Amino acid sequence: MKLKLTAIEALTPGISKFTLAPLEGTKLPPAGAGSHIVLEIPGPARMWKNAYSITSASDAPVYEIIVRRVEKSRGGSAWLHNHAKAGDVLEVHSPQNLFAPVRLAKRHLLLSAGIGITPFLSYLKLPDLAYELHHCCKPEDESAFAALLPKGANVTIHTSRHTLDVEALLKRQKLDTHVSVCGPESFMDMVLATTAHVGWPRLKLHKESFGGATGGAPFSAVLKRSGVILQVGPEESLLDALEAANFSPPCLCRGGACGECKITVLEGTPDHHDHYLSDVEKAAGNAIMICVSRAKTSELVLDF
Amino acid sequence: MSASRPLYAPFALNPEGRAHLIVTSLPAAPEGLEDSLANIEVWTVKHGGQGVPLPVIDGVRSWRSTTELLAQLGHRLGREAAGLRLYAIGSEAFVWDAYKTAIGAGLHPSEISLHRSGAFVRRVYCTHCRSIIEDVPANVVQCPTCEAHLFVRDHFSRRLAAFMGVKVDAEIPGEIPEPEVFTS
Amino acid sequence: MNLILKSLETYRDDYTFSNSDDAILRFPFPFPDDNYMYAVNMEPHVRGGPSKAYDAVFDIDEHYIGDMNDRALVLDQDPLRCQVLPHMAQAEWDALELIMDNLATDFPEHFTLTKDGDAWHWVNKPLGIDQKFIFGRSETLPCGPFEFITRQAQGDFSLQDQRDNTLYMDGGMVTSQADWSLNFDVGMAFHEWHGPVPLAHESGVFDRALQYLLRLQCGKPVRRLNWTMTANPRLDTSPENYPLWGPEKAAINAETVGHQLCLRVELQTLYRLPRSNAILFCIRGYLIRLEELARVEKWAVRMHRVIRDLHPKIAEYKGLVRYRELVVNYFAPFDDGRALNSGTSSEQDNI
Repeated sequence: MKLKLTAIEALTPGISKFTLAPLEGTKLPPAGAGSHIVLEIPGPARMWKNAYSITSASDAPVYEIIVRRVEKSRGGSAWLHNHAKAGDVLEVHSPQNLFAPVRLAKRHLLLSAGIGITPFLSYLKLPDLAYELHHCCKPEDESAFAALLPKGANVTIHTSRHTLDVEALLKRQKLDTHVSVCGPESFMDMVLATTAHVGWPRLKLHKESFGGATGGAPFSAVLKRSGVILQVGPEESLLDALEAANFSPPCLCRGGACGECKITVLEGTPDHHDHYLSDVEKAAGNAIMICVSRAKTSELVLDF
Repeated sequence: MSASRPLYAPFALNPEGRAHLIVTSLPAAPEGLEDSLANIEVWTVKHGGQGVPLPVIDGVRSWRSTTELLAQLGHRLGREAAGLRLYAIGSEAFVWDAYKTAIGAGLHPSEISLHRSGAFVRRVYCTHCRSIIEDVPANVVQCPTCEAHLFVRDHFSRRLAAFMGVKVDAEIPGEIPEPEVFTS
Repeated sequence: MNLILKSLETYRDDYTFSNSDDAILRFPFPFPDDNYMYAVNMEPHVRGGPSKAYDAVFDIDEHYIGDMNDRALVLDQDPLRCQVLPHMAQAEWDALELIMDNLATDFPEHFTLTKDGDAWHWVNKPLGIDQKFIFGRSETLPCGPFEFITRQAQGDFSLQDQRDNTLYMDGGMVTSQADWSLNFDVGMAFHEWHGPVPLAHESGVFDRALQYLLRLQCGKPVRRLNWTMTANPRLDTSPENYPLWGPEKAAINAETVGHQLCLRVELQTLYRLPRSNAILFCIRGYLIRLEELARVEKWAVRMHRVIRDLHPKIAEYKGLVRYRELVVNYFAPFDDGRALNSGTSSEQDNI
């Protein structure tokens, strides 16, 4: 659907809030807490498709997203920060939800770092969620993040990693609590390791992968069925390269989580960055999630 | 669990747990725990006692009935913290009653393991009059409440902690097959 | 759509139910080929398909009033046919919105929905319901939102919560089921409630179906067909009431099979719900007497072949053993051995 950018607000030098509204006479589909939308962003040479968490409430009349300018950006976030202006109309995919809060949990412990707070901002707008949120950020960003929180929110902001004692937090949770975490890979790895250490069951931990490292060494992708050979550049994903070449491989989350974009690898060694394949499947090396993973060898031959 | 009929593994401590609570409907703790370094607590059931609460012996708490044990279990789990693993050992009906108590306290199925011992008897739910029949040894049983003869399907509900019983001679009343004794 | 509704028909006791010529021609026949085996067979649920039964998102047909009346009778006798676990409250409202929006869109001559912010006004002319309520506030409805709307839509419904990489049937309105119990199955996971189905587990059909459903997207519903046979056009073939309908199966013989035995088809549709992220599963049942089915030549021939060659385990699970031979013999005279087109449409404009 087409949505109009009605407001852009800089929260910090590198983080801005964008408001998207429906066009005249159309209605916005409601978006459950944890949903994201994919924006089609026009770049100089190609169209970028980036996923962003909706931070507004389920039935808000607009969608609000928060975008960080990524240093090694694939281009989308840079365009939004440098070129987008109020009044622009963008093509936006309907909301999808891969990070909904578990309804059965009686309590939620939410842990975030940096831009990872965004999905939790929609959680906080649910009327009946029992939660505590701990958010890590740089000291200079604290007031900007604090301003995003609804009144009376049960949130602690940590400007130093040292004041966030995840182990102590986990140990004092009752058994009816689920943990959700969102942030850079290193933060999530730390939380994952801590949960394992205290014996927190894996299925009571929920994580939203937030892109993380998307670039890497360039490689060739040989498409066995069509005979086409693609060069995948250092700033683009294999999925991006296929789409730029006018292919439409199935995909959904664009974040290595849902499994929709899995393609069989016939030759070469994939470099896995996804959260979908099992350890056994990753070791076997004959499948790849094209939205986030790359190659260890200079060439991959794909059954596509 | 395979499809809808539960399967059970042999009892073993889950290495991911930091503390372990073992509840059993039997009067004795499972064997082999003495050598373990893990943080283990055991609850058993001992009938008798003339109405007087049972003492704790060698760290093992004994309750006077499974009813008392399950009520205490719910209370205890409500005060517990992360890292606990629960084990239930005993009849199929008991272990699933313990499971229901644990789920009600917010535990996830992966924090609970069930180990069935004793005779191969089933708790059956009469789909027609809604009553529960305990200790059913074969796959045809007459419901003592509504008197229908029921076929015990291999379909199990965790919520009801029982197998599904449906009238066996609904199509031709009186045509009741020979019951087959349960072997699992 | 100009839909003429029949007045009350019965699905029990005197079984006055019958299909008009139009209803026969729009029937969602389930067999595209001469043999049948389980398959994932899901396709996008769009408006339009092999018959008019596919034209609406939630199909309302000439039997609407009789169906809803039968539902009310079942619930009167057994309120546990409608249950929703407490954590599914948001999903109830999602489902109400989806069904009301689509009924009003597809059948504006029978249903109207007007919204003023959260103040909604719903009118159901055939059932004489005129209800104002506040969306999201269940105290403004005479009963829970899920029960309220499913008492006005044909077919059974279940609400499924997505967690632990599977789906849990955490609510349902089940009054026209083919032999499964909501009270027994509520709270079960996908593989558990499918437990009793033979053969399908080994071939991995359920694993693939589940993976597909876990990625179901808002705005992109899917559909598939399922089928069985019922003695007499009886909607409530629940295990609870098996003692009532069981004896009717035994009464089917060569003389009565054409009139009394029915093909029962379920048009199953699945929808991702926006706020709760739950899945609404609609099992829309259609009944047709074999003698009505036989009036479509292609279907009569196909029925002969499919039932004749059906895998015995499937015949057993679907409860067909008792009258399989009767069905084969009934349709045999129609089968001259000719090649039939693949596909389910009737290939007839009138009967």
